[in-house]
Amino acid sequence: MAVKPKYYETLYIIRPDIKEEELAKIEQRLRDALAAHEGEIIRFDKWAQRELAYEIQNYNRGTYYIIIFKSLPGAVAELERHLRFYNTDVLRFMTVSITEAAANKEKAAQENKAAEESSPAAEAAPAEAAPAEAAPTEAAPTEAAPAETAPAEAAPAEAAPEPAEETKTESEPATAEPTEGGAN
Amino acid sequence: MESPRDRKYFARKKVCRFCTESLEMNYKNIDTLSRYITDRKKIVPKRNSGLCARCQRQLATEIKRARFMALLPYTVLH
Repeated sequence: MAVKPKYYETLYIIRPDIKEEELAKIEQRLRDALAAHEGEIIRFDKWAQRELAYEIQNYNRGTYYIIIFKSLPGAVAELERHLRFYNTDVLRFMTVSITEAAANKEKAAQENKAAEESSPAAEAAPAEAAPAEAAPTEAAPTEAAPAETAPAEAAPAEAAPEPAEETKTESEPATAEPTEGGAN
Repeated sequence: MESPRDRKYFARKKVCRFCTESLEMNYKNIDTLSRYITDRKKIVPKRNSGLCARCQRQLATEIKRARFMALLPYTVLH
């Protein structure tokens, strides 16, 4: 049985003091990697620039980039190989598989997202002070919710051919992080 | 007749907020997730969070993802 393409979401953190051309180079390389594996990029943009919850490679800030794409599972390994290649610039990356509905919603929301781009960053910022504001303030964008939760329930059934539906491949950049083990 | 034991505690009915309000549970949605971690940044147990089993499992996964991406801390001792 042929392997079907799936939808994935990759989030990666770039160190804050990176040069523009380096940034463009990484982006281009990732795009090429996906293109080479017939991946279809649904969204590729900057998600947020924010304080890291803990120090990674002596950085306390980071710029988050998000890629949402559709591809065969093999492309994920390839993409991550490229991310690992830039392990001094890419502090952290993670790929999760997402549901088709979530991906489609993303596709549709792509235009609106550009306008709202500043808002996720703003609501992400006070995360450190979060327990205090844990009270009644409900900042969660409810409009995004239904499509997100519903397919999650439906997912296990359709994922039958492949045992792991929500494959999470997370990997730290290959270089050893001296701070990491001790700090935790 | 109502026994004293029944009146001792409020029988506050717990409903799963993620099921009833269909909130978005996503590791990028830190504001929502951070309501389910304690002062010491532990994941709030099911008995306190009031979530149903499925949502609680999903919540734990999403919190762990957020932690890995440095969106949420693992501990206060960082």
